[in-house]
Amino acid sequence: MTGKGKSRWADSAEDAALEAQLKKEKEEKKRLKAEKARKAEAEKKKREAEAAAAAQRQQQQQQQTGDDDDANGPPAKRRRLSPDRDAAAAAPTASSNDSSKLLRFEGGRFGKCRSVENYDKLNDIEEGAYGWVARAREIETGKVVALKRLKIDPKDRSGLPVTGLREIQILKDCSHRNIVKLKEVVVGDDTSKIENIFIVLEFLEHDLKSILEDMPEPFLASEVKTLLLQLCSGIAYLHSHYILHRDLKTSNLLLNNRGQLKIADFGMARYVPDPPPPKLTQLVVTLWYRAPELLLGAARYGPEIDMWSVGCIFGELLTREPLLQGKNEVDELTKIFELCGLPTDESWPGFRRLPNARSLRLPSSSSSSSSSSKPPSTGGLIRAKFPLLTAAGVSLLASLLSLNPSRRPTASEMLEHEYFRQDPKPKQEAMFPTFPSKAGQEKRRRRETPNAPQRGQKVQDLGQVDFSSLGGIFGSGREREERGGGFSLRMV
Amino acid sequence: MQLAMSSSFILRQLLNLLQKQTLYVQSNSRPSPADKAIMSHMVNPLATPEQLYQRRSFSALPTELQDAIFFSTQCLTQAAGLLLQLPQSVTAQANVLLARYWLVEPMMSHEFSDISAASVYLIAKLSPYPRSPRDLALVYNYLLSPSSTFFHPSSAPTSDDSQPPQQPPPPSPPTNIPNDYYLPEHVYNSFHTRLLRCESRILYALSFDTHVSLPHPLAITYLQALDFLNTSKSTISKRTLPYLNTALLSPQMLYLTSQPNALAVAAIYNAAKDVGAKMPECEWWEVFDVDREELGFLVVGMRSVDAWGRKMREDVERMKAGTGSGSKRGGMITRRDIEGELRRRGISLGNGDDDGGITGVGSEEPVDMEAEMARRMDEKMAEIEGSAS
Ligand SMILES: Nc1ncnc2c1ncn2[C@@H]1O[C@H](COP(=O)(O)OP(=O)(O)OP(=O)(O)O)[C@@H](O)[C@H]1O
Ligand SMILES: [Mg+2]
Repeated sequence: MTGKGKSRWADSAEDAALEAQLKKEKEEKKRLKAEKARKAEAEKKKREAEAAAAAQRQQQQQQQTGDDDDANGPPAKRRRLSPDRDAAAAAPTASSNDSSKLLRFEGGRFGKCRSVENYDKLNDIEEGAYGWVARAREIETGKVVALKRLKIDPKDRSGLPVTGLREIQILKDCSHRNIVKLKEVVVGDDTSKIENIFIVLEFLEHDLKSILEDMPEPFLASEVKTLLLQLCSGIAYLHSHYILHRDLKTSNLLLNNRGQLKIADFGMARYVPDPPPPKLTQLVVTLWYRAPELLLGAARYGPEIDMWSVGCIFGELLTREPLLQGKNEVDELTKIFELCGLPTDESWPGFRRLPNARSLRLPSSSSSSSSSSKPPSTGGLIRAKFPLLTAAGVSLLASLLSLNPSRRPTASEMLEHEYFRQDPKPKQEAMFPTFPSKAGQEKRRRRETPNAPQRGQKVQDLGQVDFSSLGGIFGSGREREERGGGFSLRMV
Repeated sequence: MQLAMSSSFILRQLLNLLQKQTLYVQSNSRPSPADKAIMSHMVNPLATPEQLYQRRSFSALPTELQDAIFFSTQCLTQAAGLLLQLPQSVTAQANVLLARYWLVEPMMSHEFSDISAASVYLIAKLSPYPRSPRDLALVYNYLLSPSSTFFHPSSAPTSDDSQPPQQPPPPSPPTNIPNDYYLPEHVYNSFHTRLLRCESRILYALSFDTHVSLPHPLAITYLQALDFLNTSKSTISKRTLPYLNTALLSPQMLYLTSQPNALAVAAIYNAAKDVGAKMPECEWWEVFDVDREELGFLVVGMRSVDAWGRKMREDVERMKAGTGSGSKRGGMITRRDIEGELRRRGISLGNGDDDGGITGVGSEEPVDMEAEMARRMDEKMAEIEGSAS
C-alpha cells in the first residue's frame, strides 16, 4: 500500500486546465460585481462613520451642557452611548484595568443579514431533490466558502422550517475544530420576501463518501484511526453540549486537504436534554446508519443513536462500502440482526416493550437460556467480516454496534479506547494523502445512498416480521459457540 | 362565552404572575453552569452603543412614544404567552427577541401586535412547545378585541392597588382556547400571511440568531451558592424572579445591555434588599463576574420598572382616548394610534397606512430603511453642526 506522505493522486492536468478556464470566464463578471460591492461597502462605511461621529459629538455636547432631561427616564440612560463596549476583547477575557480580574462574557452582537451578492458562485457541489450546495468566493476577501441553500417549501404555511432554523442555531453555537464552521447567513437581494436563504460554511475539499467511492485502495489502518478520532472528538463536543446530530453518515463528514475531518449537515440535529424528553421523532438518521432502537420505534432515545452511526461509519471506512445497506426498515433490521445477532432479554432488557418489537417474531427464548453463560456478542461475526482488523478494533466496533444502546461506548469513552493506542498509531493529519477534489471542480452526481428522512413522512410500521428463520443461523447456542472461535480475542 | 368570562382575570393574572412568579418552568434550564463550555452558552448578543444611540436619536418617533409602544407590546406578548399556556421561559425569550428586532428595524414598519405574535410563534416553534398559527390568531384576535380587558382603562390597577405579595396565587389560566371564539376565515388568513412575513423579517433582521439565554436559571444557581444569614433562600428567590420578569418590559432594554449573569445578580441584590436580608460583607457580586458599576446601573434600572409601567399605561390610555378608538377596538396600542398622536403633535411620518389590529390588510412595503436612515442622519448632522457654530 502507498504509505508515502505526499499526494497519492496529484491533481491532473485536465483539472488544472478546467480550473484556468473557469477562472477566466468568471473574471470579467467578478470584476464588475466586485466594483459594485466595493462601492456599496464604501457607502455603508461612510454612513457608519458619520453616525459614530455624530454620536460622539452629541455626547460631548450633552456632557458640556450637563443637560439632564431624563429625570424620570431610565437612570444612566446615556451610560451606553459611548462605544466603549467595542474595546472589550473576545470572550471571556479578564478585563485589564480591573484588579479583581472579572470575566467578561462576549456574546457578539445582532444585526441584519448580508446579501448573497457579496459572494461569487464558482461551481455547484451538490444539487439534488432537496439540497443545493455550491462553492463560492467572497468578493471582498477572496476567501472560498461553501454556500448551502436552506430548503424552503413556499407552500408550507408553517413558515421557515424548524430544521433549517435549528441547523443554523446549532452551528452558530458550536465552536470545535471537527465541526464545520458557520460563517454567516445571507439572503437573496429582494429582502421584502425572504425566500432565498444561504448558510455560508467554511469550504472543505471533500466529503468522505466521495473519497471512499473513488479511492482505489482502502484507507490505511493509521488513517482510519485518525479519521475516527476526529469524528469522535467532534461528537464528544456535541454530546457534551446536549446536541444530537441524528444524521451521521459518510456524506455528511467533510475532509480538507490537510487531513482534517469536520462534521457537517446539522439539518436533523437538535438540543436534547439529559435525560431525554419522552417524545422525539423517530424519523431521523438515514436508513443505513439508523440504530436498532429507532427502527424498533423508540421515542425516547439519546446520544447512543449517534454512536451506532459511528459504528456503521467505522465499518465503511474499512471496506469503502456502507456496512448495512437495507432496502427498507424491515430489511435494515434483518441485516442488523444478521451481523449482530438477535436481541435477547439479557443482552437488551426491555427491548420487547418497544413499539415495533411486538410485531417481531423471534425464535423461542430457549436458545437464549442456553447462551446465558456468556453475553451474546457480535465479535465473532465482525471478526469474520473484517479479517484485517486487530482484536482491539473488533472489540471497539462490536461495542459500537451493540443492539442495546446502553452497551455502546460514549464518545468520550471511545476516545480512550485501546484501539487508538495500539500500533499502527493514528497518522498525523498533516501526513494525510490528498485527493482530487470533486467539490472544487465539477458538479457531483446524485448518490444512490438513501436520503435522510423528511419531515411529515410517515413513521413506518414494521408490520409482522418473522425473524424465527434467522434463529436457525444465529439463534442457537450451538451456532454461536461454533462461530465463537474468535471470541477469546474479542473483549478486553 | 368562556373566554370572555375569564377575560376579566387576564390582566390581573399577568401582573400577578410577573410580580410574584415563582414557578419558573425548569424545562429550559440547563444543568449547573460550572462547566466553562456550558458557560459560553449563557451569554447573549448585546446591543451596540450605535444601535442604542440610533434608535433614540434618529427615529422620527419621539422617545416617549417608542417607550409606550415597547412597554405595551411586551405586555401583550406576555399576555399572549399566558393564554397560549407557554412556560415563562419561552415567552421571556420572545420578549428579548422582539426587543432586539426593534433595535434593527423601525418600530413603525409592521403592526406591533404582528411582530409580537411572530416573536412568540418563532420562539415557540423552536421550543418543545410549538403553537400553530391558528392558536396565535385566536389569542391575538381575542387580546386585541374590545371584549378583552387587556389594557382597557377599567382594568387598570390604581397605584394604591399594587398587589401585596402575600396574596394567594391567581386563578390558573383558562385550560383551553375555545374554538367557538369568532375568527372569520379571511381574517385568519390575512393574519397568517402577516405572521409568516414578520417571522422572516425578524430572522433577517437578526441574522437568524435566535439564541436567548435567560438569567432565571442562573439566578437560582447563584442563590444556592449564597448565604443570607437571617433569611431563607426561598423568600429571596420569590422576589428575585419577578425582578427578572418585569425587567423584560422595560424600555431600558436591560436584557440587551447586560449579560444574564449581571441581570441575575442585580435581581438577587434587589430581592435581598427588599426583605432586609443580610448580604455577605464582601463584594460578593464579583464572584459572579459583575462589577459594581454595572450592578448599580441594573439595580436602579430594575427598581424603576414599576413606576415606569404606571406612567406608560397612562400614556397609552391618553393616546387611545385621543384617537377615540378605545371603545371600538381593543386596548392595545396600534400604529394608527401612534399616527394619530403624531398628527396631533404635528409630526409627519412617511409610511404606515395600515389599519392596525388583526384585521389590518394594508400594504406592508417596508420603507427603504437605509435611505431613510441616511436622510435622517444628514438632517441630524446639519442640526448638530448648526447649533455648534
Ligand atoms: N462546507 C462544505 N464544503 C464542501 N462541501 C460541502 C460543504 N458542506 C456540504 N458540502 C457538500 O454538499 C453535500 C451536501 O451537504 P449537506 O449534507 O450539508 O446538505 P443536505 O442538503 O443535507 O444534503 P443531503 O440531503 O444530500 O444530505 C455534502 O455531502 C458535501 O459533499
Ligand atoms: Mg447531507
